[in-house]
Amino acid sequence: MSEGPSTPTGSASRRGDAAERSPLAALLVPGLILVFCAFVAYLTTTFDRVPSSLAQGMQPADYPLFLLALLSLLAIVLAWQEWGKPRSRREPLPAVFWITLGLIAVFVVLAAFVDLFVAFFVFSFSLSYAWGERRLGLSLIIAVLTPAALFFLFGHLLEVRFPRGLLTNLIYG
Amino acid sequence: MFDGALAGLGALLDIKLLAMIFAATVAGVLIGALPGLGATSGAALLLPFTVTMPPVQAIAILATLYCAATYAGSITAILINTPGTSAAAATCIDGYPLAQRGEAGRALGMATVASTIGGIFSVIVLAFSAPLLAKLAYQFGPPEYFALSLFGLSMLASISAGGAVKNLIGGVFGVLLATIGIDKMSSVERFTFGSPELAEGIHFIPVLIGLFALSELLVQSTMLNQTVERIAMKAVQLPSWEDYRRTWRTILRSCGIGTFIGVLPAEGATVASMIGYNEARRWSKNKDEFGKGAIEGIAGAEAANNAATGGAMVPTLALGIPGSATTAIILAAMLVHGIRPGPALFTQQAAFVWAIFGAMLIANVMFFGLGLVGAKLFARVTLIPNTYLWPGVFLVCVVGAYALDQSMEDVWIMLVFGLIGYAMRRLGFSVVPVAIGLILGELVETTLRQSLVMFDNQWWKMFTRPITLVFFVLTALGLASPLIFGWLEGRWRGEEPGKRRAEGPLSE
Repeated sequence: MSEGPSTPTGSASRRGDAAERSPLAALLVPGLILVFCAFVAYLTTTFDRVPSSLAQGMQPADYPLFLLALLSLLAIVLAWQEWGKPRSRREPLPAVFWITLGLIAVFVVLAAFVDLFVAFFVFSFSLSYAWGERRLGLSLIIAVLTPAALFFLFGHLLEVRFPRGLLTNLIYG
Repeated sequence: MFDGALAGLGALLDIKLLAMIFAATVAGVLIGALPGLGATSGAALLLPFTVTMPPVQAIAILATLYCAATYAGSITAILINTPGTSAAAATCIDGYPLAQRGEAGRALGMATVASTIGGIFSVIVLAFSAPLLAKLAYQFGPPEYFALSLFGLSMLASISAGGAVKNLIGGVFGVLLATIGIDKMSSVERFTFGSPELAEGIHFIPVLIGLFALSELLVQSTMLNQTVERIAMKAVQLPSWEDYRRTWRTILRSCGIGTFIGVLPAEGATVASMIGYNEARRWSKNKDEFGKGAIEGIAGAEAANNAATGGAMVPTLALGIPGSATTAIILAAMLVHGIRPGPALFTQQAAFVWAIFGAMLIANVMFFGLGLVGAKLFARVTLIPNTYLWPGVFLVCVVGAYALDQSMEDVWIMLVFGLIGYAMRRLGFSVVPVAIGLILGELVETTLRQSLVMFDNQWWKMFTRPITLVFFVLTALGLASPLIFGWLEGRWRGEEPGKRRAEGPLSE
């Protein structure tokens, strides 16, 4: 689906309009796809080759390379299709989106190096706060109870053993 | 067949299974009523809980959730003008204006009745057509399955979200992801980066949770300033005789449309409801009422989207080709449980298949009762603050991704695909083709290579087999469908041919 009105107009008339993006912006996504394809195609060169009797007409890299060629072709079609279309600027992402991403990064660090359930507590409480919740007592209770409920449900009922960490070491002994 | 049917339906007399189906119906209605969470993300989140269950319970629960969540999207569509699921988007058009006129109970009553009729109709079609289709599939060899899976992927070109080329890019990306791991023909590792976990291939569950649920959390973080106006409602009313008189043709038509659209690979309830709504308008004597609270609009959209649920299960069970995004997750669950859909399923595990049919039928009856009695209560689920709901969803995403193999690597994969899913959605791509491509990917490669071995690398010989040829023609039509529909639309609107061409041949 096109993002703006679909009447074809000359790019010159749009150049001064601050609300519209450069026609080159249309090439960004196809360009990224082509770069991705080139990188993955490079990775296929690291695959082992097998004797032709075992390969049965197709080396392990052939099929991914065929898919990458198809993906590149589609990216070129996309670029051709998008080129010259008037495109309005996307709404900038709000600060809370970036905070959410940052909290996910903090979660990864805590889960990897401290404890999964400590990471759950910190993420749950911080995200509530970042998204505008100011009832801190309630947030705290929910940030404790939700991971505890998941631990009970998965750990006891579904017999999942969680990774060891600061808290789980205390529980598992 | 009758022994299998009796055994399957008999299995549903188990109180534990019935209780699970009831719980899944309630969960489905709650999930469907929550804007942002739909049948697909709900099924992705529920999938890890079902891994330790017996296969019948697991698939029955997911199929039940699919039916119930598809219906429940109408509750918020009517009461707050926000479809709980994308399949209920067409219901907003007339449901909300009717609610604004003080007739929310009437609108919800019609949505409940039309959804139930659509759902039951499609399950009956499923019960009769899936075994027939499976019988036909007995004649399928690797070339036929390869052509069929290509046809399934080609249908991505015509699904409504994204655009034809973007959807195909997503589909090919998904198929590419399926090449990660040890190549089964040569035992050579591909894209594993030395990781033993990746050597087995990329797991479906973390990818699906990331693509559907985590990406939605990021989308929700950009929509926190939106407020909704909630319309008060006394109680759900069953439709009057006058309403039935006005809508019975629409409901029947939408049952047929929804089931047919559902059967088509990759097309799901959203496309069905849009077409069901458009056809309701086209055939109505009261076209002027549409958009202002036409009861036929609600009936047309809701009967079609629930009819698509049974329809989408037909190719999923009979051929192993998902009919929609949610059935792609159900298919992934079947594979996780070691069940390979296809013709053998109907002969070797007939009881399992009939238990699923029965569970879907029961789910439709249950959500009818729940909808009439509890829609007002279920609508209150939208009062759960996002500030508590979405942190909880994140935690379930992480534990769900971890639980299958008890590996943190799956959690990292889920997080990466959550980011990829969000980036794709931001750039106008749908994540559904990636999921369908990933699930079909192994079938595509395996059957292609088996076919090449069969034909001694003379691939063109595939065209000499009649069924394969039919699927290749259908694939070409599937790929060309955006062009054909674009051209037809242009003709109907009386546009000059050159004007559309200037927009690019594949634009939507």
